[in-house]
Amino acid sequence: MKANLKYAIIFLTPILFVTFILYAMVLWSVYVSLTYWYGILPSWKFIGLSNYYYLIQTERFWIDLRNNSLWLALFILPTTFLGLFLAYALDRIGKGEGIFRAIFLYPTALSFVVTGNVWAWMYDPDVGVLNTILKSLGLGFLQSRWITDPSIALYCVIGAAVWQYTGFAMIIYLSAIKGIPPAMIESAVVDGATSLQILRHIIIPQVRHATLVVTSLLAIFALRVFDLIWVMTGGGPAYSTDVLAIYMYIATFRQHLVAVGAALSVIIFLLSIVIVIPYVKWAMKRWLGLGGG
Amino acid sequence: MRKLLLALTLILVLSLLFTSSLLAQEQLIIYHWWTAGGEREAINALFELYRSKYPGIKIVDNPVPGGAGVTMKAVMKALLLAGRPPDTFQVHAGAELKLYYDGGFLLPIDDVYKALNLEKVFPETLLKLVKIKGHYYSIPLNIHRANWLWYNKHIFDELGLKPPKTVNELLEVCKIIKEKKPKVWPLALGTRPKWPEAHLFEVLLLAVAGPEKYIKFFLGLLPPSDPAVVKTFEYLKKLLPYIYPYHGDLTWDEACGLLIEGKAAMNIMGDWALGYYLVRGWKPGVDFGAVAFPEGVFDLLSDSFGLPKGAPNPDATIKWLKLIASPEAQEKFNLIKGSIAARLDVPPAIYPDPIRRKSAEDLKTNIIVPSCIHGAIAPDPFVSQFIDTINRFLYSPDIKRAIHELDLAFKTFKVTEFHKGIALYDEYLKAVKA
Repeated sequence: MKANLKYAIIFLTPILFVTFILYAMVLWSVYVSLTYWYGILPSWKFIGLSNYYYLIQTERFWIDLRNNSLWLALFILPTTFLGLFLAYALDRIGKGEGIFRAIFLYPTALSFVVTGNVWAWMYDPDVGVLNTILKSLGLGFLQSRWITDPSIALYCVIGAAVWQYTGFAMIIYLSAIKGIPPAMIESAVVDGATSLQILRHIIIPQVRHATLVVTSLLAIFALRVFDLIWVMTGGGPAYSTDVLAIYMYIATFRQHLVAVGAALSVIIFLLSIVIVIPYVKWAMKRWLGLGGG
Repeated sequence: MRKLLLALTLILVLSLLFTSSLLAQEQLIIYHWWTAGGEREAINALFELYRSKYPGIKIVDNPVPGGAGVTMKAVMKALLLAGRPPDTFQVHAGAELKLYYDGGFLLPIDDVYKALNLEKVFPETLLKLVKIKGHYYSIPLNIHRANWLWYNKHIFDELGLKPPKTVNELLEVCKIIKEKKPKVWPLALGTRPKWPEAHLFEVLLLAVAGPEKYIKFFLGLLPPSDPAVVKTFEYLKKLLPYIYPYHGDLTWDEACGLLIEGKAAMNIMGDWALGYYLVRGWKPGVDFGAVAFPEGVFDLLSDSFGLPKGAPNPDATIKWLKLIASPEAQEKFNLIKGSIAARLDVPPAIYPDPIRRKSAEDLKTNIIVPSCIHGAIAPDPFVSQFIDTINRFLYSPDIKRAIHELDLAFKTFKVTEFHKGIALYDEYLKAVKA
C-alpha cells in the first residue's frame, strides 16, 4: 500500500501539473473574454458578455461559423470514406501493401505550410498544374479560377486538407481491419459473399471504434484549422475561406481586440467539447470495462 | 548512482558558470524582420560596422521573418507585456511607433537628437512622425517610397504609350493596352497575403483626393462618404476589369514578375519592387521604367529603432542608435537594402539607379505623406479592417457597403483619438478644432 502511494504520487504529479496548467489557461481565457482588454495593455475591467454580443453582431462571425460547419461536413465525410476504402483495398491486395501504405501516409507527415504552398501552386489559375493538365487533356472547359474564385475557394482548400488527411484515416482503419479475426472473413468468402458485401456487413460494423476515433480527431482538426488556410488564401478572397481560428488570430494580434479574440477561443473550445463528448464517453466505457464498445 | 549525481551536479555548475560569464559581457539584443535576400545583407553590413566600432559588445540578433513585420509585431508585444524588452527593435515611424508609446514601452531619446544635431538632417515631416508629445522616440534608418508605377517598357514602346501620371491617364492607358494586346493584363496585382490591394487603394486615393484630404481621411477627419473617397472607389471599380484576375493566388513579388513574363504591363508598388526587378536581371530604362504616381507627392514609410523601457543594455542601444543615425551607416545600409537614406545630406548621386536618385531628390522638394498600409498613419486594428474592405470590394464592388464598413471601422477603433500626440497629426487635429 505504501509503495502504491509513492508510485501514485510520482506518476500523477506530472499529469496533475499539465492538467492544471491547461485548465488554468482555459479559465484565464474565459475570464479575459469577459473583460475590456482592447489594445496592447491588459485591462481587467469586467464587462460581462459584451464581447460575445459584439461577435454575434459582426457579419464575419456568422460567415466563419458557416465555413467551419462546411469544414465539418465536407472534410470529415470524404476523408473517412476514402481512408476506409483505401485501408480495405490495401488489406485485400496484400502484395505491395507496405509501399502503398507509405505513399498514402506520406502527405500526413508534411507540414501544413508545405501542403498549403504546393496546393496554392497547383490551383494557380494561370500557370498551375490543374489547369495545365485539364487543358492538355482537351478538358479546357473544366478549367477554373480555383482558390481565386470566392464561390469555390473554400471547397478547394478543403480538398487539399482531404488529400493530406486521407492517409491518416487510412492507417487507423488499416490497423482496425487487421484486428478483425480472419475466420470471420474467410467464412463469409466460403458462403459466397462479394467484396462489397464483406465491406458492408463485416468490416464497417467491426471497425466502428476506428470510425469514432477518426471522425472525432478530424472534427477537432476541422474546428481549429488555421495554418492550411492561412498559407493558401489568408482567409480570402473576401471572407470566403475565413474561419473562426483565423478571425481569432486577426482579432487578437491585428485588431488588438484581445478580449474578442479570447471570446472566439472560448467559442471554439465549447464547440470542440460538444464534438469530443461522444468519443470520451465511448473511451471511458471501454477503459473502465463498463461494457459497450 | 552517486557518481552519476556528482557528474550531473558538475555539469550544472559548469553550465551556470558559462552562462553567467556570457551574461557579464555587454550585449545588444536586437529584433528586426529583415530576413529576405538583400535585406539580410543590409542589416549584416550594419552589424559589421557596429562590431568594428564596439568590439566588446556582442550582438544578439533575433530576426523574425514575415513581411512588413506582421509576425515580429506579435512576438514583440508578447515580450514587452512579459516585461522582457530587448535592447532595441525595428518599428515603422508614425502610427506603429505610437502603438508602443501608448503601451508605455519606450523611453525618449531627445539626448541622441541633440548630441548629433539630428533635427537638421531628417526631413521635417519624418521628424514629426517620430516625435510624440514633444519627445523623440526613434531614429529613422531608411525611407521607402510607396507611390511608384512600374511598367514594362517593351510593351509601352511597342504601343507608343507614355506612362500615366493621373488616374484618368491610367484608365486610358489600360483601355489601349486591353484593346491592342488582349492577352496582356494592363495592371498586375497579388493579394494572397492581403495588403497590396489596400496599397493600390491608398495610392489611388492620394491621386484622386490629394495629399491633404488623404491625411485627413486616415486621421478619421474626412468621412468615408466624402466625394473624394467615393470617387476613388469609383475609379477602382472602373479599373477592376483591367486588373490581373487571379491576384488572389499571387504574392506581391509574383505580381511584379507578371511584368517580366509579359503577362501584365503595369504595377503599382513601392520601391522595394526595384530590388526584385534588378535581381531578375531587368534593366531600368531598357526593360522597365517607373514613374512617381501621382507626381509631386512622396508616400513615405520609414524603418526606425528606439530605446525600450527596461532595456537590459541601454548603453549598447544608445551606441546603436547613434551609429544608425550616421551618414556612413545610412549610406551603407540603404545602398544594399534598396531604400534611400533618411538623412537629407546623403547625396542622391550615390544611388546607382535612376529610380532611387529621383526618390532622393523628390524627398527634398515633394509634399510628404505617410503611408497607411505600411504603418505610418492609422492604427493597426483599423488597417486590418481597411484591407478586408478593399479585398471584398475587388470581388463584389459595392461602394455603399465599403463606405459603411470603413465608417464603422473609424468609429470602432477610435482612429482620430489614436493619433493624438504624434506631432504631425496634432497639427491637423488642432486645425480642425480651430
